[in-house]
Amino acid sequence: MSARKEIGSTPGAPGTLAAASARPRRPLFRKYFIALFVAVVVPLLANGASEAWFGYRDHRALLDVRLRVEAAAAAGKIQGFLDGIKDQMQWAVQLPWTDGGIERHRFDALRVLRQVPAIVDLTLIDGAGIERLQISRVGRDVIGSGVDRSNDPAVAGARKSRIWYGPVTLNRGSEPYMTMAVAGNRAAVGVALAQINLKLIWDVISAIRVGETGAAFVVDRTGRLVAHPNISLVLQGADDAASARFKALQAAALAAGGTAVTTSDAENRTVLAAAAPIAGADWMVFAEQPVSEAYGPIRAAFWRTGILVLAGAAFAAILAFVLARRMAGPIRLLERGVERIGAGQFDHRIHISTGDELERLAARVNQMAGELALSQERSERIGRLKRFLSPQVAELVERAGKEDLLGGQRAEVVVIFCDLRGFTAFSGKAEPEEIMRVLGEYYEALGAIIMRYEATLTHFSGDGLMVLLNAPVPCADNPAIRAVRMAGDMQAAVQALIVGWRARGHALGFGVGLAKGAATVGRIGYEGRQDYTAIGRVANLASRLCSSADDKQILIDASAAAEVSETVPLTAVGTRELKGFAESVSVYAVAKIAPT
Amino acid sequence: MIHRREALAFLGGAAAMWPLAARAQRAVPVIGFLSSAAREAFERFLAGYRGGLAEAGFAEGRNVGVEFRWADGHYDRLPALAAELVRLKVDLILASGGAPPALAAKAATSTIPIVFTAIADPREGGLVASLNRPGGNLTGITILAVELDSKRLELLCALAPAARVVAALANPNRSDFEKQTRDVQSTAVALGRELVILRAGNEREIDAAFAKLSERGAGALVVLADPYFTSRREQIVARAAHHGVPAIYQWREFALAGGLMSYGPSIVDAYRQAGIYTGRILKGEKPADLPVLQSAKFEMVVNLKTAKAIGLAIPESILVRADEVIE
Repeated sequence: MSARKEIGSTPGAPGTLAAASARPRRPLFRKYFIALFVAVVVPLLANGASEAWFGYRDHRALLDVRLRVEAAAAAGKIQGFLDGIKDQMQWAVQLPWTDGGIERHRFDALRVLRQVPAIVDLTLIDGAGIERLQISRVGRDVIGSGVDRSNDPAVAGARKSRIWYGPVTLNRGSEPYMTMAVAGNRAAVGVALAQINLKLIWDVISAIRVGETGAAFVVDRTGRLVAHPNISLVLQGADDAASARFKALQAAALAAGGTAVTTSDAENRTVLAAAAPIAGADWMVFAEQPVSEAYGPIRAAFWRTGILVLAGAAFAAILAFVLARRMAGPIRLLERGVERIGAGQFDHRIHISTGDELERLAARVNQMAGELALSQERSERIGRLKRFLSPQVAELVERAGKEDLLGGQRAEVVVIFCDLRGFTAFSGKAEPEEIMRVLGEYYEALGAIIMRYEATLTHFSGDGLMVLLNAPVPCADNPAIRAVRMAGDMQAAVQALIVGWRARGHALGFGVGLAKGAATVGRIGYEGRQDYTAIGRVANLASRLCSSADDKQILIDASAAAEVSETVPLTAVGTRELKGFAESVSVYAVAKIAPT
Repeated sequence: MIHRREALAFLGGAAAMWPLAARAQRAVPVIGFLSSAAREAFERFLAGYRGGLAEAGFAEGRNVGVEFRWADGHYDRLPALAAELVRLKVDLILASGGAPPALAAKAATSTIPIVFTAIADPREGGLVASLNRPGGNLTGITILAVELDSKRLELLCALAPAARVVAALANPNRSDFEKQTRDVQSTAVALGRELVILRAGNEREIDAAFAKLSERGAGALVVLADPYFTSRREQIVARAAHHGVPAIYQWREFALAGGLMSYGPSIVDAYRQAGIYTGRILKGEKPADLPVLQSAKFEMVVNLKTAKAIGLAIPESILVRADEVIE
């Protein structure tokens, strides 16, 4: 009886559950996280890298242009310095040389000297190329030396193109000097020749700033340094080691054709330098800027980009984490929910409100759990019914939802009682194992028949058995005929067993009693242990008939006999005095029934 | 004078007793300032020097100390003073006022950097190998000083065309005294003037020189280049005014003090440059790498007040060249 366990409480196979709850080899969370993170970071990195690269290129090009502009501007200032000297010298070549005019020229020359501190001495040559006057800051003035300077390249050069720049020479091996010659607008005014101390360009060159720490400097056509903010470099002059650098730089700048070149300055800093020419003097002006400063803005931009990329990556990581958790979270929730429902917790509900397919899936699972709960309840009910109803009847009762059929009521029923003859004696002497074996075979045979006839088993005890027909569900055909046929089948089946039992030495027989009539039917018992039974005269009658039946005999009462007489051959066995019945009862025996 | 000398000797002795302790304790570098001249007339130049130090980032008393040693024109004291500075283990010696202090410093040390200022030609006497690469532990500022004596004489003759006899004040203590006076002498001959050399190496001799100038009837005076004269410029200018003689001097400072006219490079600027070089060397640059700087700017100053006082008309050719005219 207790073999029928509740199916709903059956836990799932423990082995499969353990496998399902083990950590997945590649969790969804990690996949989503990596995918989302990569989706954000890769474009970010690509953008940062391209921005940095193009930024660098643009900045390099911009630097190039800016340095060239700075160099050109510096060249303009140096040219301005030289032009300033030239303009002042023009004053000394405006008056023609006449015999008495020396004093006027002397004043002009003195004024030029006064105006241009860079001029160390000034020589005036007349139209014929004769030296007429020399004014000096250091040496003594010479008036009318009469030296013929017409073949001097300075004089010839100035006569040819109005202005002539001499080579840079070193005074006392240190200070750069240069001769400048200026001719007037006609031959008669002669030529002015000036020694220029180029150290005074320092005022101009040191005022030029290229960026914050950059500088400009001037080299002559031979690559010798003419002017530099660090005057020491200029004054080191002819020193080969010092000038070699500028010669190399000049060559590099000429080779680069105007674009900036990378070199190192006197303090061994790496610098970018661009050159611009000064046409007349054939000098070159360089604008240089330390690379560290020149690339300062782009370096700052690199840092900015790097920080932005890092911040973006951090943001992407947070975003990916949140999104991945949002995706993987409900799935994990579903997994746990399904696990619990699988474990039989049908009242468990999965709460997901993501508004997407996952929420729908959770709703489906919840619905499924609900249905599972219903179906479990139903199967539990059926299980309960099957204790006393045949499976078919139980299904019927359950499906019809008519459990009230099981409530107490009056019904026209057929009651069948049967038991073994000689069982008491047998059970007294036989071994328990043998008794149980005999009963096992006995009930197995009877159970099959009861089930086949869809009869209601009310109770059994030891070898006795009570079966109802037409309650709680009415039979479709005549219940009496059905009962008689079933009794016949029972008798046949048990008699077949008896042959075997007798062979084993057990003196057993089988008798059946059957009665038809009204009875009170319904469930009796207490919570957890209930039976369906019939109470009334008919039940007692059937029981008595069974008791009085011989082996192989089926005794039925008169009302049952009346019902079946036309179908089944009966033998009237007369009346019998039955215990508990005041009057004698007519009894009929079922003669022989054709097997159905 | 006696007092000062004793004080100096005392100071020197005291300093010599704890030079190591002093050196170990001091946190700022110390400059030994060695001058052939006297302190009194030197403030302007010192201001220039301090200006240069400031340009290089140094301020006396804050991040640099200065030990002064003055020879007061007694060039023979210079070697002892230089040796004293070396004993004090100063970080740098500034040799001020001509070649003698620089030569004395060079003789006293070959390791302590020496910056000289206002030397005519440092190659003479072997102070430096060349101007562009000094080589040793010396560098500094060179100015045209003695070289301009002849130019000054020429300008003086233009200033006082009537003076047939011209006097030249010279310091016989100079090592190049002979050459200096010889050069001026030959210029005077070329200019057709008679030149009287007046020797003066101290205050008393300066007064005596002016007495001799009157005696010889000189109509104009050129004060030859010498640092001692620079420090005694008040006295010299006063004597010239007293005698009513037109005079030309080396530095602007003479004209500012009442001298009639000056022509030469800016001595203040030379000291400023020396200050810058001092700063650069204190910051770690080597004297050997610093080329000797030559002063390139000349200034001509004419004091019209003095001209008026002695009743002299300055010719236009002089005024047109003047960078500064004091009226």
